[in-house]
Amino acid sequence: MSHQTSLGTSVPQANCLDLWREKNDQLVRQAKVAQDAGLPLRRQQLAQDALEGLRGLLRSLQGLPAAVPVLHLELTVICNFITLRASLAQGFIEDQAQDIQQGLERVLETQEQLGPRLECGLKELWNSILHASSPLLELLPALHHLAGLQVALWLSTDCLGDLTLLLQTLNGSQSGASEDLLMLLKTWSPPAKKSDAPLTLQDARGLRDVLLTASAFRQGLQELITGNLHRALSNLHEAASGLCSRPVLVQVYTALGTCLRKMGNPQRALLYLVAALKGGSNSGPPLLEASRLYRQLGNTVAELESLELLVEALSITPSSEVPHLLIEVELLLPRPDPASPLHCGTQSQVKHLLASRCLQTERAEDAAEHYLDLLALLLDGSEPKFSPPPCPPGPCMPEVFLEAAAALIQAGRAQDALTVCEELLSRTSSLHPKVPQLWEDARKGTKESPHCPPWVSATYLLQGQAWVQLGARKEAISEFSRCLELLFRATPKDKEQGPPSNCEQGCTSNVALQQLRAAALISRGLEWVASGQDTKALQDFLLSVQVCPGNRDASFHLLQNLKRLDRRDEATALWRRLEAQTKLPQENATWSLPLYLETCLSWIRPPDHETLLGEFRTSLPEPCDL
Amino acid sequence: MAGLAPRVDYLADFCPLGGLTAGRPRVLSRGAEIVLSTGRELVYVYDREGRLLTAVYKFPGPVWHLEVLARRGALYVLCAQRGIYCLSLDQASRSVRQNGGDDKDREPPYPVIPVDLHACVLPDATLCAFTVLDSVLVTLAQGPAQWKVQLFERPCPGEDPRPRGLIGEVELSTCNPPAGSPGEPRAPRFLPVLCSVSPPGSRALHGLLRGSGDFTLEGALFGLLFGADASLLESPVILCGLPDGQLCSVVLKTLVTSRSAPGDPKALVKILHHLEEPVIFIGALRTEPLAEDVEDTYSDCLVALGHHGRTLAIKASWDEAGNLVPELREYCLPGPVLCAACCGNGLMYHSTPSNLCVVDLARAGVHGDPVQPSRGPGGLPSLLCPTSLSVCSVVTLSVSSSVPEGGTELLALSAKGRLMTCSLDPSAETPHPAGVTAANAGRKIKELLCGIGTVSERVSSLKKAVDQRNRALTCLNEAMNVSCTLLSHREGPRPITCTTTTSWLHLGLRDLLTATCLLENSSSFSLDRGWALCIQVLASPHAAELDPAGSAVTYTVPVDRLSPGGRQEVTLPLGPGEDGVLDLPVTVSCTLFYSLREVVGGALAPSDSFEDPSLGGCPADILPEQEGICLPLSEHTVDMLHGLRFRGLAAPCTQAPGPLRPPSDPVNTFLATCRRLGSEQAEPTSLRAKYLPPSVAAIRVSAELLRATLGDSYSGVSLCCATLQWLLAENATADVVRAQALSSVQGVAPDGTDIHLTIHEVTVTDLCPEGPIQAVEIQVESPSLANMCGVHHAVIRRMQKVGVGSRPPCSPGARPPGAGAGCCSPVQGSGTMTPKSEGLHVPEESLHSSSLPAQRALQWQHQPTLTTFPKHGVCISLTWDLSVHVPRRPPSLRTREPVAGALTRL
Repeated sequence: MSHQTSLGTSVPQANCLDLWREKNDQLVRQAKVAQDAGLPLRRQQLAQDALEGLRGLLRSLQGLPAAVPVLHLELTVICNFITLRASLAQGFIEDQAQDIQQGLERVLETQEQLGPRLECGLKELWNSILHASSPLLELLPALHHLAGLQVALWLSTDCLGDLTLLLQTLNGSQSGASEDLLMLLKTWSPPAKKSDAPLTLQDARGLRDVLLTASAFRQGLQELITGNLHRALSNLHEAASGLCSRPVLVQVYTALGTCLRKMGNPQRALLYLVAALKGGSNSGPPLLEASRLYRQLGNTVAELESLELLVEALSITPSSEVPHLLIEVELLLPRPDPASPLHCGTQSQVKHLLASRCLQTERAEDAAEHYLDLLALLLDGSEPKFSPPPCPPGPCMPEVFLEAAAALIQAGRAQDALTVCEELLSRTSSLHPKVPQLWEDARKGTKESPHCPPWVSATYLLQGQAWVQLGARKEAISEFSRCLELLFRATPKDKEQGPPSNCEQGCTSNVALQQLRAAALISRGLEWVASGQDTKALQDFLLSVQVCPGNRDASFHLLQNLKRLDRRDEATALWRRLEAQTKLPQENATWSLPLYLETCLSWIRPPDHETLLGEFRTSLPEPCDL
Repeated sequence: MAGLAPRVDYLADFCPLGGLTAGRPRVLSRGAEIVLSTGRELVYVYDREGRLLTAVYKFPGPVWHLEVLARRGALYVLCAQRGIYCLSLDQASRSVRQNGGDDKDREPPYPVIPVDLHACVLPDATLCAFTVLDSVLVTLAQGPAQWKVQLFERPCPGEDPRPRGLIGEVELSTCNPPAGSPGEPRAPRFLPVLCSVSPPGSRALHGLLRGSGDFTLEGALFGLLFGADASLLESPVILCGLPDGQLCSVVLKTLVTSRSAPGDPKALVKILHHLEEPVIFIGALRTEPLAEDVEDTYSDCLVALGHHGRTLAIKASWDEAGNLVPELREYCLPGPVLCAACCGNGLMYHSTPSNLCVVDLARAGVHGDPVQPSRGPGGLPSLLCPTSLSVCSVVTLSVSSSVPEGGTELLALSAKGRLMTCSLDPSAETPHPAGVTAANAGRKIKELLCGIGTVSERVSSLKKAVDQRNRALTCLNEAMNVSCTLLSHREGPRPITCTTTTSWLHLGLRDLLTATCLLENSSSFSLDRGWALCIQVLASPHAAELDPAGSAVTYTVPVDRLSPGGRQEVTLPLGPGEDGVLDLPVTVSCTLFYSLREVVGGALAPSDSFEDPSLGGCPADILPEQEGICLPLSEHTVDMLHGLRFRGLAAPCTQAPGPLRPPSDPVNTFLATCRRLGSEQAEPTSLRAKYLPPSVAAIRVSAELLRATLGDSYSGVSLCCATLQWLLAENATADVVRAQALSSVQGVAPDGTDIHLTIHEVTVTDLCPEGPIQAVEIQVESPSLANMCGVHHAVIRRMQKVGVGSRPPCSPGARPPGAGAGCCSPVQGSGTMTPKSEGLHVPEESLHSSSLPAQRALQWQHQPTLTTFPKHGVCISLTWDLSVHVPRRPPSLRTREPVAGALTRL
């Protein structure tokens, strides 16, 4: 009370208040001018100056003891400062919580309720202010505005519990009345600003609408990721009906599409995706979602088409949009992580997806072209602008090369495949282990082979396959032998040695290594067969069955070979085993192999399992009866 | 190496006020031009051939970093709190030359070109470092909690400043935001270091100037450090050395992220090492001799230097099985390192405030090492031996691009702002032959002059360090003298004394008992910087025993140059505090403390005179906070007799009108008393004061002993008066007593209750078999039992001094016996049980309980007894007259304690 009287009587003080208020209004106008400024540099400068001005003003206001008549202006300045700062920095930071806290403490100071300062967290401060016995009627609009900013801050840091409590208090409802955040936000109506109040950058009601949309969208995304589809759908509908900018609407529609696709409503999902694509900006996520949808529907042509469109869409440099100097929905959204349906990756990631899908769907020609494009994008670009490799958990760079080579071989372009393999080897040559010739004499006793990354061996395997296609049997056999030499040297136990690469986990899983060995052995065996050296082939086939007992192809090749060599007894025993295995449920589909290895294995698959088995069944009735 | 004497050539002087701070200045050479900044607003372009400045640019803020793209003649400048500016060097210098032609005679000699806002290509106040590649600009910005690497399309000079396409961004580890008011941008002490590393082969694409922050590593090391993906992509890698010591890498080509989402740090950022001190420099060297047929020289060793000299070197080598493994070594070089530079031949130069040193990481260094003869190629030396180049205080270094064959030329900027070149020519190890031709005589003289310049700068820096150490030594010597003097005068008057007196101070409505400590230096040494007077106030001896740490308050007052004969007075409040309670006795002990940290700390710290002093040096690690010399001076106990005030007497000069009641407002007290009276919780003391006869205690002391003690100082008055004056001698308010020669006085205790002291002579008949003894009886009377006990205790303490002073001290009596539980219980027990009317006589006891059997000491008698002191026949008799009543509630602990205390020590 004493403050009021002293302020009322002293004329210069009142003048000061007017001056400060005028300053605030001028700074707000300046920020609004900055918003419309065309030159980004000038815009930045103006906004920065306005921010500094607000900071200075706040400091002078807070230099005096807190008094109710000034506090209204002070709180407004805090709100403007936080709004401008958050929109300039494109996010909330810890400092802003401190700004709010300081403002609240000043309010409590006037009420002489400020207890021990240190113990009070933001939650307690809000609680004691809003539950104050003497309602601070004149401060209420500003306090509600500040509370709105607090809600935004807590929303962006995911403090939903505090948020709910604060909103309940603001609504004056009893605790436990309603826990639903959206409901609470809807019922919250900030008191209207008086016409003579100091200017604000954003009014409390506008902020409330932004908060409503943002929290609905956030919750919808959350539910979508956790798989709670019905609630996700209703939240996303809520967000879509709220106030939001076009880019946000595109995101909401995309999320709706994802949600409906997962719920088994592909047609409705498609409608939303089309609507999202009409939104114009940032058509990446809806396109990716569309490709997923078509894949689910089995429409490969449409799937690949949308992926191609996506690659094109991503090749356009994003024009950085000028954000408004307000708290906007974008500011409050979580950062899209790879798990989010709104994450569409980079151009080369999509290009890789497109190429690998082509390879998987047996469009080898297209796959080869796409892989070559991808490699050109990654390697030849002197500007790294468009050259991102796929991020983990995708395949690592060497695997991309190997997939490209496999696609080329598949497409019948063995020479190109050889070039790709040679490029891969030459670029990484310095990382390969040195052949220990120099010190061989010094350490004859402890000869230990150096470890070699599996993708190096795989390169030799593919080179061999390329030679096979070119009909150069000798080269092919020598490449396979080289591959096998490296493969049997590779000891997984010293995995941590050698050049570190994130592809180590991908290729060195034991199953993959076994299959790689089997593939190399079968490939070489087949070449021996083709050159008429069945005994050598037998060795390789036998070994391949030993190395990888789960690989039925190896057994069939062995069976064929035994049959050719006329070793009937062994053949019969093997056939029995195979027959028994056939009756058992197949279980080897559970693990996934690298794509290049899958492709390679498909080349060496014996064409006719059943005929071979049938042949045996009919040709060996007598031994069966014995 | 030993013969590596540099030829130093001073080119120009760029001395800003206050010298240069390491970390900010930059020097780059671009052909014949040198571009440099001193860490202030100006960037200079200096022409080596013409030996003149060709352009000076003035930026709107301090310049933190410079880069020049040689092929395009573009200059990129990071301006603190502003952003990155881009200028075209060629254009600018041309226009400047024209300008220079127009107004040749004008001052200043070079035109200063202000750089305007339009040259700002990337406005961002949080940028701390950047590096330019051929087509991209990599920046490192300090976010609120994290460092952020961002990749932009490279802007060109003269282009429209339109929003740059952000290609990618990723956040590095957490950074500690600089302390300060929230939101306030502050200049960091150390800037992060950013450089780009290219794999072999990709160099053809990047035709830029090889600055300090850009180098090519050979394939094996590159692949080993950054992975197969980076080698396969032939992508440049950005290395960041952060002020917290982290060294992390980002593969540039992977740093392309989809819009709105920064990259995943786990996938994109790799932490190579942690130096645990601010990273000052990252560089690369060639340590192995080149094979004959190899054209390109790629570095095969990556080095990183920390501020305190910790150095990391990484090389690729092959283990016994032939696998590629990293060889990583850490060295410790003398710090603090201001700057460093690497040059191709395996040499690394690093500068400390006192020296510019060179270390050799090349294999040549281990050639003579017989221990590891069988090592494969790629061994790093196990130890680095820095060789001094006798150039000091270089704050920034760069290897000149126009290197003469076989030698190295360093461009350096000294802390005093001098630009110099150091030519290191290994072929010129031997001095020139004696036969000096006329042609090279001039050159020789010039070299000598330059050498003198270098030496003088070095001398001034060393001199500063020596002065500092000398000053510290002088201070230490004085401190030693003072300590010796004090410690050698254990007996008799000490040359440095501290006397404590008490007085009452009126502060508004409150009265405060204050202690004044007077430090007198009568020695022949002065107490200088580093000395402090520590005054410890111990609430009460009991409290100290129970809780030695809790109840003591220590005041530390720096002694402010106390020359011989000087005095310093310190006054401190003892109480009563806010609660109105003053617990007497209080012990005030004074100690002299000499802080080694303050005096020696500065000299022991590395003479890092080029650090900005405002940023704070770091002697903190060298001496612990409380290292020092501690000399106890005096100990003084303030008891009830010191705290008594006298108002009943006409006191013309003292504080008659002052309200003597301590702090509480009388009305409040009255109201509180009324309220309490109504309730059950009546305060025992106030009740007793109103309704009970006062408690009385009497102490009898042999008159002879007193006379002997008082001596001649109180001649002229009766023994009783003398005794009273003696008892109140240290009481500041007792002038009245002294003036009027009283033998009985009425005083007020600190809590406001009355105390009556009466002294009269008595004859004791039944004590000594030799006949009656003349004794003096001191009677203490107060309505408050606690105050009575307090005064009684104070009197006893003085008597004790008499006893102790006149005979060898007896051990148990010197200290209140702590194990008084056995004594307390009967007193309290009977005290609370005895009917109110019955006077209880607590018997006198010997002060020295050793003279009595233990059981007798605790006897309860109705008749006073006298106890003889052995040998001297002096008697002290004590009589207690306690009016013990039974309160409705047991007395509170506060009132009970002194009784127990007083009794136990009897």
